[in-house]
Amino acid sequence: MRDSANLSSTSQRHDSVVARVRARRLRRSRKHQGSAITMNIAPMIDMTFLLLIFFLVTTTFERAEGILASKLPTNAGRHTASLPLVPIVVRVQQAENDGHAFTLSLDGFDAKPTTFAALTAVLLNIQAQPGFDDETPVVIVADQDLQWDHVVACWNATLNANCQRVAFGD
Amino acid sequence: MRHERKPRVTSSGISFNAVPMVDVIFMLTIFFMLVSRFSSAEQIPMELPKPEHSKASLAKIPERVIINCRVNNLLSKEFVQAVYSIGPNQPESLDVIARRLAAMRHQSPNLKVIVRADRRLPYAEVREVMRMLANNNIDMLNVVAHVDEEN
Repeated sequence: MRDSANLSSTSQRHDSVVARVRARRLRRSRKHQGSAITMNIAPMIDMTFLLLIFFLVTTTFERAEGILASKLPTNAGRHTASLPLVPIVVRVQQAENDGHAFTLSLDGFDAKPTTFAALTAVLLNIQAQPGFDDETPVVIVADQDLQWDHVVACWNATLNANCQRVAFGD
Repeated sequence: MRHERKPRVTSSGISFNAVPMVDVIFMLTIFFMLVSRFSSAEQIPMELPKPEHSKASLAKIPERVIINCRVNNLLSKEFVQAVYSIGPNQPESLDVIARRLAAMRHQSPNLKVIVRADRRLPYAEVREVMRMLANNNIDMLNVVAHVDEEN
């Protein structure tokens, strides 16, 4: 008797489980019928991967390039332009013992700046003196063997001192 | 609003949720798209001057020609010599470059010349380019240097 009762309760449980599964499947099928439009994201992910690989391969992290502009004397390269004011002559020379080192001096001034930042400060001091201003021409005279990096650094130092008229001399 | 998709449960019980991976890939793609800068073929890789507190400006010059002055690597390291080229072209002598410049300026008189010189070159090598430009009645010297990182 007890066995038959157990069997009937087991079959009832089985029936209820089957009914629940059927109901769930029905709900699912109705749900799918309601939203038949699906988005296949696989091509989008493929494209994104391709873009990512492209940018990974092509990207180079570099410092930005800018331009320093200056006037050149025209018509004849070796002729010097006439300067109405007495120019400040900045001499940049290669140090004798070290090919990469340099020395700075200014004609007519005692100051001997050792760095280009110091040169900017010296030029600002000179501009504050009577008879000089930011319109006073500055002529950079560099050693022929001096590295171009130092010449540009010297030019940049004059621009940092707000010098409006910078020229290169021989 | 993002709809969270439930991960598909396989027969083995191990699921794969692709959503975080797609999110990360999108983020990386957007980052590289914003960061990458397409360099022109005219800008041959070289060591440019890096002055402190650089006053170099990021000005866009529409009509321009770039003269590259690179270090000639074929020679010994002690003797640094320059090779000159217009943009991505093959290296040429300064006389040839001067003739080409004259022809270009005949076609477009407002042409601006930008000099990209390697920082290791001796001043005399760049000075030759400056003389050549002056002889061609080019009154503006535009020299390329690195821009200050603080700007």
